[in-house]
Amino acid sequence: MSTWQRLMPAVLILLLAACGPRPEVHTERLLAFGTVVELSIYTHDRELVREAARVVGEDLDYMHRAWHAWEPGPLGRTNQLLATGAEFSANPSVLPLILEGQRLEADSDGLFNPALGALFALWGFHGDEREEHAPPDEAEIRALLETRPSMADIRVDGIRMRSDNPAVRLDLGGFAKGYGVDRAVERLRELGIEHAILNAGGDLRAIGRPGNRPWRIGIRHPDGEGVLASLELAGDESVYTSGDYERHFIYAGERFHHILDPRTGRPAREARSVTVIHRDGARADAAATALFVAGPARFAEIAARLGIEQAMLVDPQGAVLMTPAMAERIRFEQQPAPPVILVEPAR
Amino acid sequence: MTRGDGLVVICACLLVGLSYVQFWGAPDDGTTTATREVRILSGGTEFARLPLDRDALVEVPGPAGITRVEIADGAARCAASPGSQGICQRAGWLREAGDMAVSLPNRVLIEVLGEAERSFDSVNY
Repeated sequence: MSTWQRLMPAVLILLLAACGPRPEVHTERLLAFGTVVELSIYTHDRELVREAARVVGEDLDYMHRAWHAWEPGPLGRTNQLLATGAEFSANPSVLPLILEGQRLEADSDGLFNPALGALFALWGFHGDEREEHAPPDEAEIRALLETRPSMADIRVDGIRMRSDNPAVRLDLGGFAKGYGVDRAVERLRELGIEHAILNAGGDLRAIGRPGNRPWRIGIRHPDGEGVLASLELAGDESVYTSGDYERHFIYAGERFHHILDPRTGRPAREARSVTVIHRDGARADAAATALFVAGPARFAEIAARLGIEQAMLVDPQGAVLMTPAMAERIRFEQQPAPPVILVEPAR
Repeated sequence: MTRGDGLVVICACLLVGLSYVQFWGAPDDGTTTATREVRILSGGTEFARLPLDRDALVEVPGPAGITRVEIADGAARCAASPGSQGICQRAGWLREAGDMAVSLPNRVLIEVLGEAERSFDSVNY
């Protein structure tokens, strides 16, 4: 028997072993966390994708209910109790977010302030839909800002907490989605999924890679004209963008968006969008908002304070400000590419 | 090796080739126009899955009211929905795999099934 004849069975077995289903990127869409969620998984098992989408959808919906500031639930109840000034036992589903919110407000020098929920409500951005009516009066905004609600007003001692300021009204919408996506990605890993993107309303976390290439991500142009830029992700990273196109209304020809500046109580006007890459989704989510409010003037300082090395800001004129680490990742998809200014994060 | 052995080897090789086409070829998951389907999600569950080649009018109940989905001429659209800004209707006719219309107030998602040809794995916005 020749060597070839001896090897033939092994070759055939190897060829037949390759006949299993080919792994590819499968995508499921669902409605959860008050938005469209897209789950893409690199696998050969389509049924696993459906099951993972179901599990993640249930988890995200549970978190959305628990952390909704304006509907009955753990956070709604927490807001009621904070307003009394009395001490109470914190709900365990809310406490970690409150602690995280305190860190984020301090790190952003107050430009990200989840205690200003009342301001959000004053503008009508707290519900699923905002009716087209006039923006609030300057006097109303000023009166609210004078109450100076801050996450630092919440005193936490173990599981007991109280607020020194009855004006504190938590709205965790600025980072709860990031926190929730992080938890959902942990759940995907528990299901044995190692290569996936979880995109919740445009903000995403990607783990692993689809085969021998990285994940390819497009970043939408703030004007809605296709994709401004792209980047590649491999490993475990979150990409979060805050843009003035997300939630807004037009009144008397003027556009008012939902990213409110805690210093003025009005929509921040120094940016069109901010994109942040960071491993931690909650921090990336909050940082995108804080850097939007910071604008070009304080971009470098606030990025450094928040520990963000990769961030990009599109200003109202369409120019791009970004960190050198971000510039290494970004590839512009539109020609001509916008003018770019590089800024190193520095306090 | 006898002639019979050779025949077995040739048959095995042919089988490998056929298996490759069967399992590694383009997936038949409803992406062709003839069999394309539209899926309607209401809340967290699938409300309906309908072929795009059959005209239909579907009323989908949700927390804000009724979303009306129309299927005609091989496409589907959100014909009416309770959202005040008309975002669902503005998505227009959905024809290609991956096309989607959403009514968040009524928690309805309408999407054409099938793996779309995409330049990016995901879009950040």
